[in-house]
This record gives sequence, structure tokens and C-alpha cells, in this order.
Amino acid sequence: MEHIFAAFAEIATVHTLLLMSAGAIAGLLSGAIPGFTIAMAVVLTLPFTFSMTASQGIATMIGVFVGGLSGGLMSGILIGIPGTPSSVATTFDGFPMARNGRPGLALGLGVWSSFFGGIISAICLIAIAPQLARIGLEFQPWDYFALVFFALTITASLAGKNLIKGLISGALGLLVATVGEEDINGVSRFDFGSDYLQEGFAFLPVLIGLFAFSQLMGDIRNPAEARRSLVQAGDIDIRIEHMKAAKIVLSRWVNLVRSAIIGIFTGILPAAGSSISNILAYDQAKKASPAPEKFGTGTEDGIIAPEASNNATAGGSLITMMALGIPGDIVTAVMLGALLIHDVVPSPSFISEAPVLAYSIFIAFFFANFLVLFFQSVALRLFVLVTKVKMYVLAGIILAYCGIGVFALNNIVNDMWTLLIFGVIGYAMRNLGFPLAPMILGVVLGPIAERWLARAVALSTDMTNFITHPWSVFFLTLSLFSMGFGVYQRDRGKKVWTLYYTPLMVLALAPAMFMMEGVIRPGIGVVMVAGGLYALYRAHQKAADFKPAAGERT
Amino acid sequence: MRTLNRDTVIAILLLLFCGLLAWSSLHIRQPGYGTLKPSTWPQIIVAVLTLFSAVYFVQSLSYPGSGSAESDGRKPGLSGFFEYFRNPIICFAIYFVFLITLPWAGALVGGILLVFALLTVLGGWAPRDLVRHAIYATVSMGFMWTLFTFGLRVILPEGEIFSIR
Repeated sequence: MEHIFAAFAEIATVHTLLLMSAGAIAGLLSGAIPGFTIAMAVVLTLPFTFSMTASQGIATMIGVFVGGLSGGLMSGILIGIPGTPSSVATTFDGFPMARNGRPGLALGLGVWSSFFGGIISAICLIAIAPQLARIGLEFQPWDYFALVFFALTITASLAGKNLIKGLISGALGLLVATVGEEDINGVSRFDFGSDYLQEGFAFLPVLIGLFAFSQLMGDIRNPAEARRSLVQAGDIDIRIEHMKAAKIVLSRWVNLVRSAIIGIFTGILPAAGSSISNILAYDQAKKASPAPEKFGTGTEDGIIAPEASNNATAGGSLITMMALGIPGDIVTAVMLGALLIHDVVPSPSFISEAPVLAYSIFIAFFFANFLVLFFQSVALRLFVLVTKVKMYVLAGIILAYCGIGVFALNNIVNDMWTLLIFGVIGYAMRNLGFPLAPMILGVVLGPIAERWLARAVALSTDMTNFITHPWSVFFLTLSLFSMGFGVYQRDRGKKVWTLYYTPLMVLALAPAMFMMEGVIRPGIGVVMVAGGLYALYRAHQKAADFKPAAGERT
Repeated sequence: MRTLNRDTVIAILLLLFCGLLAWSSLHIRQPGYGTLKPSTWPQIIVAVLTLFSAVYFVQSLSYPGSGSAESDGRKPGLSGFFEYFRNPIICFAIYFVFLITLPWAGALVGGILLVFALLTVLGGWAPRDLVRHAIYATVSMGFMWTLFTFGLRVILPEGEIFSIR
């Protein structure tokens, strides 16, 4: 309890709340502007966090994160272009409702669903993460390495359409992190005699170069589009109908809670973020509705479901980050990077080792939802102003800011060169079809993986430890399935083998549960075997009637 | 003779890069202490990257139609490349010049010139545009410089010409 009070005292200061407010407004705006992503906004916030304490820095970034998730609804509802992929489904009913003369209500429904979704998610975060983190106390170096290895295999899921390019991107990220003096023995690697390379690449310039710099270059590539205003929004004078919307959202509590749970669960799963959860929740709301035919014409449930779920996803991804110390998406990868900058090494024992900081994150997430709700109207006015700015003006100024921002990290001009180099690399990779998310994951997780491997080998050179420690077996098994997840995603519904993927995964994970001590976990193992066998039987039945899509071979 | 597609060229470059790194990893100093050698982890990564690059290479040969200038909607050849990527190339070049001249111009003056040059190249150089860009550049960089210097206490690079950080 004292940790909660100490954390509350850290967050509930005027200074921290002001920083969070600024973050929330910045997030709302970046979420609202099509072409700007939440991840980019969080990345650009990083330089400001150096001079802050770890809890203030993370709290500010959480403000941006939650703001960004809520901001996407503004442009989606008002102009029919979702500000972020997490608001795609909001547009389906939000835009028609706005065009039917009820934009204030549409915005209100979005705002209040986001708020309640976020609050439900915050409660789950506070309740689940510490319980899950207790498992982390059992971890030994082999288990830690297996866990980080599993996180690295997520790159396969983040690869998108081209699996091999995603994997190459992830491996390149790992490689970038090995350049320069290593932490353990201080030996320089891949420096080719250059003092610049001997220093290694700092995380932030690499991140901003890869992500923000390269994206801005993409935004201004087309000269005609670069000279256009950000959004052709025109003059908007709308009042958000708060009272009416809040009542409607609460009256549809089943849809609200269901969508929030979908969001939380999707967030917990690595690599499945809010861009997926909002569509899943919309689909479920439509299926559960007594009038599914009204979806797409401006129905209230069609706005509530995606907005509640996309905000709830943030809490889910924070659960994974806090309890296991692994990032589920780019935003949490950046947050982990920010913790590293403040000398906090994320791991499953994070909550027990740094409880005040951990609870600060919980409380900040809780507060952020209130701040975002409060600042929606302000952000709406700012959004209208920002829409009049031309893209090239914003890009030019942000490019300069990127340079100054990365310099602030270590006061080294070399970091600005790193920014330029990785800006070029990032832009080239984007244009060649290589996804950047796996590379960022590789840069963040590479040094952590090496550190745990070194510790494991230092304790014992017997490699069988990796298959005799239950958690190590659990995560290595999960890694095998994670590596195949990209192919599974691609072939699902098209090839018969995908029917067996989930049952086989459940069955394969059961032996690790049997290896664990006590009664409960082996008991869970028994349930997994029974459930897995039943699912396998069902899959076998479905396989007999399986009809692949036209042109696909089974 | 059929020309190589873009993916094949990239795969070959990646394989060459892997070869260079593999060679370099053999020259990593091995201290007499510690159980995990400093070269082990990089060598594992290089091996994995080589494997992926080889798969990419084979894949690129199997689908020779993918990855071409036409698929981007740009004209083939070097002139088409420069025409299509004109803005990014110029921006990278301006940024390069900014970094080269940073010790001389400093963060404030260099930053103002950087923003002004970027805006003018991207937005046009009609007299009214030039005035507007100069105002944007001065105000935005002035704000950033003030924020970082006085707000965040960051000592930004000081220029030789005006000795202004």
C-alpha cells in the first residue's frame, strides 16, 4: 500500500500533471492528423523526457499514448479519414452519423467510449499485472533469455505481408545493437577502426531516424501533396454532446464491457495492437446486435465498440510490458527504451524491484484517461487550426526538432549523424518494403537478450538448462509457434493446416506446465491437454468439410 | 540477358554485407575472462541474417516480377529515380550540409537556416513564400532553442560565427 501512496505522490504533482496534460494534447493532435502515428508522437516525446524523472517521463509518454488512441476518432468522425489505424472502424458509423447532422453526438460517443474503455483497462492493468509479475520472481537467467527470445520471435508477427523481409529487418535491428563496445567485457565490435562506430549507436537517434525521420520523408515525397493542407476539414464549429453521449454509452454497457475486454486481450497478445482490436470489437458488436443491418449507417453501437476497444488495448499492452518486461508493439518498445535511458532495466521482476515506478505507471495510465477526456474539446479546436497547416511546413520544423532532440540525449553531435544515417536507412527500407517495427524491436531487445544469455552461460555452460527449466521450455515452445504465426496469419481460412495451429500450440505448451511445482499449474496442464485434444478433434472434423478460398491449395 | 530485379540486388548486397560482418566478427578481441565470448552473440545474429538473406535471394529469383521501379509508379532509370525521390534526396542533402556546418553556424543559426532551406525547397521560393518561410524558421527554431537551452538546460552546439549556442 505504501508503494501506491508513494507512486500517487509522484504522479499527482502539478508539474507531472502539466506534463501529462501537454502529452495528452500532443497525443490527441497527432492521433487526429492522418499520416501521423501514435508511435511517432511517442518517439518524438522521448527527447523531452531526459530531463525528467523516470516516472514523469513515462507518465508523459502514457499521456501521449492514450491521447493518440482517442485522437484518431476526431478526423475519422468529422472527415471520414481515420487519424490512426486504431480508429478505422470508428469511421464506419461515426462519419455517417456526423453527415446525418449529429456530429456532436458522434464525437461525444467516441470520447466517452474511449474514456470508459480506458478506465476498464486501467482497472485490469492494476489488478492483473502485479499478479502476473509474481511469476517473474521464479525466473532464472535461462527463463529470462527464453522470454526475450520469444519477444524477438514476435518480429515474425510484425512482419506483415512479407515475412522474410520482416525477419531480415528484425535481424538487422539486433545487429545494429551489437555495434560498438559491449556492456559485459567492454570489447568493441564491428567498429572497423572508426571512433564513431566504437561508441556504438545510441538508441534514440536510431529510433527517431528509423521511424520519425523516414516517415516525414515519405510524407513530403510527392511535391503536390507536400504543399497541401494536412486535412481539407473546412470550418468546423461543433460542440461535443457530453451528457447525452455519456448516458447512451452507459446504457450500452454490455457492448462497452465486451469491447473493452476484446481490447485488453488483444493488447496483452504481443504484436496484436489497437489496429486489430477496433475492427474485432466492431465485428462482435455487429454480430451481437439485434439490428446488424443498421451498422454502417451511423449506429451508436458502431462507434462505442471500436473506441472502447482501442483505448482498452493500451492497458493490455502495458500489462505485457509491466509483468513480463517485453514490448508488444512499437509504443511499448519505445517506453521500454525510455526506461533503459533512465537506467531501469525492464524484466519480469520489474514490479517487485521498482514498485514505486511500476505503480506510477498504473496511476499515470488511470489519470491519462481523465486528462484526455478533459482536453478533447481543446484538442478539437487545435485540430481545426492544425488542419490549415501545410504538410511541408510541419515536416520541415519537425525535422529540425528531431536533430535538436537527439542532441539533447548525450550532448554529442555524432548522435545527429546517427539520426541522418538511420533516417536514410529507414526511408530506403520503407521504400523497399521492409517493415521497420521488427527492426526497432531488435534494437531494443538485442542487448537484453545478450545480457541474459551471458548470465545463463556464466552460471552453467550446460545448455540442457534451457530445456529443463519449465518457464524456459514454455517460452521456447511458444517461440516456435510465434515464428510460424506470420505464415498462420497469411494462410488462415485458406489452408487446412491452420485449423490445427492453435490446438497443437496448446498441447505443446502443456508439458511445461507439468514440469512446474505445485498442484495448480500441473492441473492447468491437464486442462490444456483436455482442451487441446478436444480442439484437435473439432479441427479434424472441420478439416473434412474445409473449403479453401478459390485458387488456394490445401 | 534478363536484368536482375530489385529484390535480387538487395539480397546480394545483404549477403555481401553478411560476409563482411562475418569476417569482422572473427577479429573481435577475445578477453581471457567471461564465459560468453564477445563474438558469440554477433556471430549468431550474422548467421541468422545470412540464412534469411539467402532465403530472400532464392525467393527473389522465384518471383522475378516483384520489386521494380514500375511497381512504384515511377519512370525507370536513374533520371526517373531522381525525379521520383527529388524531395527526400534534397532534404537529406540539406540535413547533411546542416550537420557539416553545425560547428561553424551553431544550433540556433544553423537550425534557422535548415528550416528555412527545407521550407523553401519544399514549398517554393516566391517572394511571399520566402518571407513566410523566414518567419516560420525564426519563430520555430527560436522557440526550440529557448525551450532546450533554458527549459531543459541542454547546452546546444555553439557556432563559431556568432558564438550563440
